Amino acid sequence: MSLYQLQKLIYHVNRDAAQRERYREDPAAFIKNYELTDAETRAALDVDVRTLYRMGVHSLLLRPFTLLHKLSNEDYAKALRDLE
Amino acid sequence: MPIVFACAASHAPGMTAWTEAAPKKQADNFLENYRKLGLRLAGSKPDVIVALTVEHWANFFLNHMPAFCIGRADHYDGPIEEWLRIPKARVPGDAMLAAQLLEATLESGFDPTFSDELLFDHATFLPLHFLNPEMAVPVVPVIFNALTPPMPAPNRCFAFGQFIGKFLQKTPQRIAVIATGGLSHWPGEAKHGKINIPFDQQFLENLVKCDYAKLTAYSHEEIYREAGSGGHEIRTWIALAGTVEGWKAELVAYEPVVPWATGCGLVAFEQ
Repeated sequence: MSLYQLQKLIYHVNRDAAQRERYREDPAAFIKNYELTDAETRAALDVDVRTLYRMGVHSLLLRPFTLLHKLSNEDYAKALRDLE
Repeated sequence: MPIVFACAASHAPGMTAWTEAAPKKQADNFLENYRKLGLRLAGSKPDVIVALTVEHWANFFLNHMPAFCIGRADHYDGPIEEWLRIPKARVPGDAMLAAQLLEATLESGFDPTFSDELLFDHATFLPLHFLNPEMAVPVVPVIFNALTPPMPAPNRCFAFGQFIGKFLQKTPQRIAVIATGGLSHWPGEAKHGKINIPFDQQFLENLVKCDYAKLTAYSHEEIYREAGSGGHEIRTWIALAGTVEGWKAELVAYEPVVPWATGCGLVAFEQ
């Protein structure tokens, strides 16, 4: 579990236009710059909202990150359905 | 000249990013009043806007999270969000006023950090879009950690705001002070969309009645439980109440807008 690294990755993509560009060019290569577990790498690559949320990614990192991937409010809510 | 304008305003990104998702009556009432507050701000002819604003992972991460940070840059770029539907702009800063404020705070028992390079996200940029639409009036941001615990205590925010007010009253410039954030909301959480209307109404009543005892008695736990993770941002409103202590507060608008997932408030202060 390396939540710190996972959140740092999302922080960089969300806030920094140059890093976001590099991420978009090759997400898998970009994600390798962070010390993630296999499960975290997979969740980040798949933008698996439910798993990222359950891993503890802060909601104000996660929602903007999913907005960059054009996830609608409805689909975001659906992904988190029945979670605390 | 002292403080010539003060207001507190919510900054839900849906206000611009998905405006039309909200019931039209709510959106029109809130956003028209937001723009009218901008006209009042312009009418007060401020030289500088001091923005009591919050961190949203735009500048700081868990490697360094200040409780308070004063921006001392010559300019600020924003918004960082591509999806906010607000055009990108460079907002002028006032490095000299920021430096003076910073020195005064450090000499007076407050220890904020400072930064000569900050980005603006919707927390600061959205209120400026409505209140300073030309992005012409220079801004001094004072960033609060209302994002990730531990956070500065509400009564400490009030005291910090009081000090900022005393300092600004002595400056030769005309100052507008804005506070941004809140009210109750659970942004991006499983409870996204929940709004605690009774909490918001009680908080607004405390502000309008200038009930400083109640405003400074809020605890971190109570805010989190009743107003959600986003509710922590009322710390900037509590600080502003300290900055303009004794001023009358007028409730300009309150709309609990579910599609914006926020109890949206606007409060103007007058001497």
